[in-house]
Amino acid sequence: MSWDSLLNHPLMHPVWLIIGITIAFLSIMLLVAATVLAERRVLGFIQGRLGPNRVGYFGVLQPFADFIKTMMKEDLVPDQSTKFVFLLAPTVAVITAIMAIIVYPFGPTVNIPLLGPVPLRIARFDVALLYVLGVTSVGVYGIALAGWSSNNKYSLMGGLRSSAQLISYELALGLALIGVVLMSGTLDIYEIVQQQSGFFGLHWNIIYQPIGFIVYLIAAIAETNRVPFDLPEAETELVAGFHTEYSSIKFLLFFNAEYVNMITVSMLATSLFLGGWNGPGVATFPILGVFYFAAKILFFLFLYIWLRGTLPRFRFDQLMNFGWKFLMPLALINIFLTATIQAYWPDLMSLFR
Amino acid sequence: MVNSILFILFGGLGIGCALAVVAQRNPLYSAISLIGVFISLSSLYLTLAAPFIAAVQVIVYAGAIMVLVVFVIMLLNVEAEERRRARMAFLIPVAVLLAAIFIGEVAFILKAVNFDVPLVTSDVGTTKSIGIGLFTTYLLPFEITSILLLMALVGAMTLARRAVILTSVSRLMSGPYVPPEEIEEPLVERTEERSL
Repeated sequence: MSWDSLLNHPLMHPVWLIIGITIAFLSIMLLVAATVLAERRVLGFIQGRLGPNRVGYFGVLQPFADFIKTMMKEDLVPDQSTKFVFLLAPTVAVITAIMAIIVYPFGPTVNIPLLGPVPLRIARFDVALLYVLGVTSVGVYGIALAGWSSNNKYSLMGGLRSSAQLISYELALGLALIGVVLMSGTLDIYEIVQQQSGFFGLHWNIIYQPIGFIVYLIAAIAETNRVPFDLPEAETELVAGFHTEYSSIKFLLFFNAEYVNMITVSMLATSLFLGGWNGPGVATFPILGVFYFAAKILFFLFLYIWLRGTLPRFRFDQLMNFGWKFLMPLALINIFLTATIQAYWPDLMSLFR
Repeated sequence: MVNSILFILFGGLGIGCALAVVAQRNPLYSAISLIGVFISLSSLYLTLAAPFIAAVQVIVYAGAIMVLVVFVIMLLNVEAEERRRARMAFLIPVAVLLAAIFIGEVAFILKAVNFDVPLVTSDVGTTKSIGIGLFTTYLLPFEITSILLLMALVGAMTLARRAVILTSVSRLMSGPYVPPEEIEEPLVERTEERSL
């Protein structure tokens, strides 16, 4: 049996799957650490101070030091809390956050010496987009149950606010994506990315779906509970919101889930609107695609931090009104426009295609 | 081989969760178990090559409906129900009878149904076939269902806002004169309540 056929043996498939998942998981975790550090440093510069710069060069080891320090803290469980649900909530939050990463293509098919062509994605299936939406919608439970089980009024208020906010903005988020689905005619993210290749970025969906992109971006920031939509953990009103009672590793899980959510949401925006791994020179050197993909994600993550340093927080009724009375109708109008143009002037859509 | 392992895994998980829904006394635990049932059901749909239905099962049932149920349980702070064995005692023979009938039905199906039908590869569960079916063959039922949902939506809104509407109407229509300070004003309080 030759080396090549051994590597391509059907029994090797689960092994490749596990290797792929491990690599993706580790890179996402490193990216989380990098984002945490970048957030503190960039916020520091925005606010005219330095930020953490003592541990390692430019503070690169700061997230790891913080990680160890938080792990060493006492793991408190409130006396009157519902113990099982109290433990279940952070688990659900972090599992659903990480589950979403398997459908994104990190790059095109790459020729690796000894292995042959390797597609840089973990799974590819028919309903990848719906899978992402489904996993996101289950993620609500992590926060809602955390708020309820802590037996603390601030936690409960945070959990309730968060459930209401996530349910409301999920609609706008899903509707904003429908424009892209109408254009590409598929729910497969890999296929959507491939359709956007070529022609110097003029095939990127952001050019055809500007309204959809803006609605998606705003809804995504609300979905990840970030400033200016961080009502569930508004510290001036609710101490720390749903994770007030969480300490040590359980707090870390929530913290991790929030940052993984930020990254997956950025990955979805990149794949659907900004052409995923497409960029100059990808056709000749496919490995460049990974760097383009990473660069686009980093742009979105920077945007998150930038917004946090710039904008004040919404009031809760403003948040609800904005979601239901502005974003939702806007997303519906976008669907209507896209469908009409698709049906009556299909040439307009394929002007550059 | 892999399929049957997955079937046993998720089928068992689904049955276990379904039993837990009934057996738990804390309503929130029942709700969580029900979410488990939905998720294992959707995994079963995946093994049956119906990815669209699997995804919609999670989005609609686990993601939307059960969130509302959990929300209500959390808001009302429903206590764990007390055991009322004495009042329910007469139901036990009925339950045994129904269980016997159910087992008999299952046995009949296992005996009577021909399992040697050749497997037909079809695209029943795919997004495309469902979309085409919904907007061509089954367009009328689809539209009627949409209108039904719209009516339910409007009805719920009307019920929720009735108190507000009633006060404004009673102020408009001149009945016996009520001095303004005696009019109950739930308006302000209610909006605050809604925007928790």
